[in-house]
Amino acid sequence: MASMTQRLKPSWRNHPISSHLLIFHLVMASTLLPSLTSAIPSFSSTMHNNNWAVLVCTSRFWFNYRHMANTLSLYRTVKRLGIPDERIILMLADDMACNSRNTYPAQVFNNENHQLNLYGDNVEVDYRGYEVTVENLLRVLTGRHESAVPRSKRLLSDEGSHILLYMTGHGGDEFLKFQDSEELQSHDLADAVKQMKEKHRFKELLIMVDTCQAATLFSQLHSPGVLAIGSSKKGENSYSHHLDSDIGVSVVDRFTFYTLAFFEKLNMYSNASLGSLFHSYNPNLLMSTAFYRMDLYQRPLDEVPVTNFFGSVMKTIHTDSPFRVISSQPKVKESIFLGDDKVKEIDKRNIKEKRCSFHLWMEFLQKKLVEKDDSDIIVMYGFGSMILLLIVSTWLSA
Amino acid sequence: MEEQKPPAARKSRLIVRLGSFLVSHSAFVSVICCVAGCITLLLLPVLAKNTYVSENALMPGSANPMFSNQDVVEANRFVKDIYETGILKDGSGMEIARLIGKHMEDVGAEVYYHKFKYRNLQFHPLCFFSSIPRTAVPQNSSACTLNGVSPVGIIRAPRGDGKESIVLVTPYNSENIKLNEALSLGLAYSVFSLLSRVVWLAKDIVWLAADSRYGEYTSVASWLKDYHNPTFSSDSGKIGIEMCFEKTENHVEEQSSFDGAAYDDFKRAGTMSAALVVKVMDKERSERDRVDIYAEASNGQMPNLDLINIVHYLAVHRQGLHVRVGTFGFLLNSALLKHVGKTLQRLTRLAESLNLGWKLGVNSADFVEGTATLASSMYYQALGVPTGPHGAFRDFQIDAITMELSPRTSLTNDNGISSFLLRSGRLIEGVIRSVNNLLEKFHQSFFLYFLTAPNKFVSVGVYMIAFALLVAPLPIVAAALFSSTANARSLTTISNNKPTNSKPVTRSGSWNWLHSAKLVFLVHLWALIVSLLPYFVSQIPHTNSTTSMLSWSLSSLLILYLLTRLTKSYVEGYQWEVLKSVMIAAASIGLSLMSIINFSTAQVGSILLVPMCLMVRPLKQPIQVPIFPAALLKILNILLAVVAFPPASLAILKGCLRGFESINIGDFWEWSEFLWVWNSATYLFVALVHLPCWYLCVHILLHN
Repeated sequence: MASMTQRLKPSWRNHPISSHLLIFHLVMASTLLPSLTSAIPSFSSTMHNNNWAVLVCTSRFWFNYRHMANTLSLYRTVKRLGIPDERIILMLADDMACNSRNTYPAQVFNNENHQLNLYGDNVEVDYRGYEVTVENLLRVLTGRHESAVPRSKRLLSDEGSHILLYMTGHGGDEFLKFQDSEELQSHDLADAVKQMKEKHRFKELLIMVDTCQAATLFSQLHSPGVLAIGSSKKGENSYSHHLDSDIGVSVVDRFTFYTLAFFEKLNMYSNASLGSLFHSYNPNLLMSTAFYRMDLYQRPLDEVPVTNFFGSVMKTIHTDSPFRVISSQPKVKESIFLGDDKVKEIDKRNIKEKRCSFHLWMEFLQKKLVEKDDSDIIVMYGFGSMILLLIVSTWLSA
Repeated sequence: MEEQKPPAARKSRLIVRLGSFLVSHSAFVSVICCVAGCITLLLLPVLAKNTYVSENALMPGSANPMFSNQDVVEANRFVKDIYETGILKDGSGMEIARLIGKHMEDVGAEVYYHKFKYRNLQFHPLCFFSSIPRTAVPQNSSACTLNGVSPVGIIRAPRGDGKESIVLVTPYNSENIKLNEALSLGLAYSVFSLLSRVVWLAKDIVWLAADSRYGEYTSVASWLKDYHNPTFSSDSGKIGIEMCFEKTENHVEEQSSFDGAAYDDFKRAGTMSAALVVKVMDKERSERDRVDIYAEASNGQMPNLDLINIVHYLAVHRQGLHVRVGTFGFLLNSALLKHVGKTLQRLTRLAESLNLGWKLGVNSADFVEGTATLASSMYYQALGVPTGPHGAFRDFQIDAITMELSPRTSLTNDNGISSFLLRSGRLIEGVIRSVNNLLEKFHQSFFLYFLTAPNKFVSVGVYMIAFALLVAPLPIVAAALFSSTANARSLTTISNNKPTNSKPVTRSGSWNWLHSAKLVFLVHLWALIVSLLPYFVSQIPHTNSTTSMLSWSLSSLLILYLLTRLTKSYVEGYQWEVLKSVMIAAASIGLSLMSIINFSTAQVGSILLVPMCLMVRPLKQPIQVPIFPAALLKILNILLAVVAFPPASLAILKGCLRGFESINIGDFWEWSEFLWVWNSATYLFVALVHLPCWYLCVHILLHN
């Protein structure tokens, strides 16, 4: 709010009416707010308005180099396609770049040609080393953190979010091994997703898993809006793609390698659909069968661009000038001044106002305001009606 | 044992009924079990599985070797230096140690010289399994000549935590260096200098150039002991390394820059993950360069199978070397084995034709080779004596093997040696890189196994079966004998009520086994004394093995005589059946205990001991069987009693292998000396389990 008033200052003198109008609107809004929050709009009506990614590498130790390389490759891809760092939760269970066995200290590669250092300058790892536990992953997903956990380590998604959850490591029938000491079971995952759904933490969720028998991890899911893809079916192994004989370890897994190969051809403005991604997996090349679970997902995959999950491409609403109030609708004005997160809230409020009993009175006031320049009187009316309103509401509540 | 009466047995539980069934058919059960045990033992080569690298972290051969021809050139130069130094300068061999130390320092390693004093190994009866106690060895100024000096270099891992290390050992004789030893030093040096340049080290590398003038094992063992037992005493009784150098360098006048004190303090590099003993040998020529792996450490302990696996994998699949493990060559030509192999081959073919799903695939030649290798593996484990300097590492729970590399050409052929050094260097580098990938220590693969080929093994779960089958009849027969005598006695006491003995207690009740137990206890006591006698015998000055053996056996007999005279009144009134039953019980306890300490010893011992224990019966006692089986039983009894006498069995074995003219009275003394010097539990087994059992069997045979 402070920033808003600062921004308004230049226009204060030139357009006294607009400032009055704004104050009026805010005051009206604040008085009406208690009665509005009780009505939560239906979920499906919410627009997709932001993107999050949770990228998890669950295994430790030098010989699991490829899992960290997988995750960092995905990190690079989603970042390139537009998800900002503050909306990516990156969890890396070990630090291969600083492992003393690494022939290229402080660098991580996903290809033996060593063209691309994945561990560049601007990699923000949110959870590292022994912080990567089942508990922390579930906390991130469900949003139940201790109060000391900083915002950068939280998944602050809402009911308009599209979330990509990518996990890689060693898995088995209905579990994914974490840190060589504990497991994430398919029940845990399904439960976490269900909680997320209940708490309106996502609109759509894509779970992508690259482990052995990845498909089994999805067997318990039953929350709508969830799309799941795994590298292998039950009883199948997921294999590494190739060995880097300089570093002496396998550097990338097959499933991730071909996923990345698909994305390398794309940029932020591509219209490639999820369907085309899913069809790009060749079981002969993967040496396993990629598995998709689509029964919980409503939209046809051929119409969903991959950037809905792997990038952040939003529909922008064009406005002529962000600071002028009179020329355009106040509703849009507000949404521009307030932060992205608030936009929807106020949208809701405006939708609600149309059905509200005060609506006609307000419209009348507004009309008065626009037609005649007798703004002082209008403000007086406004305050008068507010006092009345206050009296009525206190009387009602008493 | 009352449960065996039919009415009670019907009510008792299944396990009891099963037990009493086995006991009542003990003769049949023991024959079946013994035969099955022997057949299983013979079939072990067929049951062997292929080895596989079990630990994921090792990743052998995943990285390209960096060892290049440049390193080979360096190795050759170093070999020439060493060899010329060794040939030109006579003396205490300090020049070579110093040369090695200087080269170590030049590649950037931390260097020190480990001094050790040769201490003759002796029989210490009270600290058998523990190492020899550290006693303050009086040192005088001339100790340098008695001391061996081993240069040690440590490369610190550039980004490692310095808590783990890999050890490379090259034994060399500092007094009389041979070309093959110089080559092994050169090879180790070139690998060492390569490792000082690489960035991927996570563990420190320690190179011990072990001075082997008093034996390879001694120098490595004393270095390890000093490594693990830090001494904090000040300079008392210690001499600086510079004294040794000064003595030899005085007339050379070039040692002014040499600061001895810096090389004196013992430097360490954390726990050892693995150790490789590298030796270049000049063996018979074959088509390819060859590597022989020796793995057996003291008391049948083996290094983790993964260590052998990675060496085998890298040698065969990366460097194209020929890998061999110890084999009994004489068994390869054995007609009997070949016949057994062919029979097995035919039988498995038949089985495969009956059921197409079976893929047994027994090959006669493979069987013979597998048996020869298995026999060698089992023999060296049973002997309990390490087969090389790697044995010293196993005493500290460090996995170690000895690799004997031999080129296909002669050692003086430059081209052949260069390609040999290239392959060997890459092999060593690969093994070190693989172990470097290891987290903590080897734990994933087997520790208890026999090798039947460099890439085939029999795990503990399989080879236990043979031993279990052999030992299982012992308690059954003991129970059967005991219960039958108890029944017979109760019947006789019922039928004729008159007491036959002056002591009625001995004839009634079930406590009369105590009389037999007393005798068994006395015999074991005698065996314990006999096992300790060598300590006193070895104190007698100016003896050779023959006189020692004679004095040992005479004193043993004397003690036996005294013991029997002194305790004559205590050990009367036993029956031979009960005595046999108690003896068998004692033998089965002894065998089971030994199988925990050294499985192979128990396995080999049971082959002799079990038939002897089961068959023994008094020669004068008539038995109710036809004349031919009775005679056969008597002959077998006498034969076993002769063969199972430890000196006799050793003599027969030696006679079979080396010809009967080589047999000497002192052989057994030398053999047992060899065993106790190496702290082998086999000595304890022979003296404390086998000998009393044999004596009791003879006692029963002569019972009237």
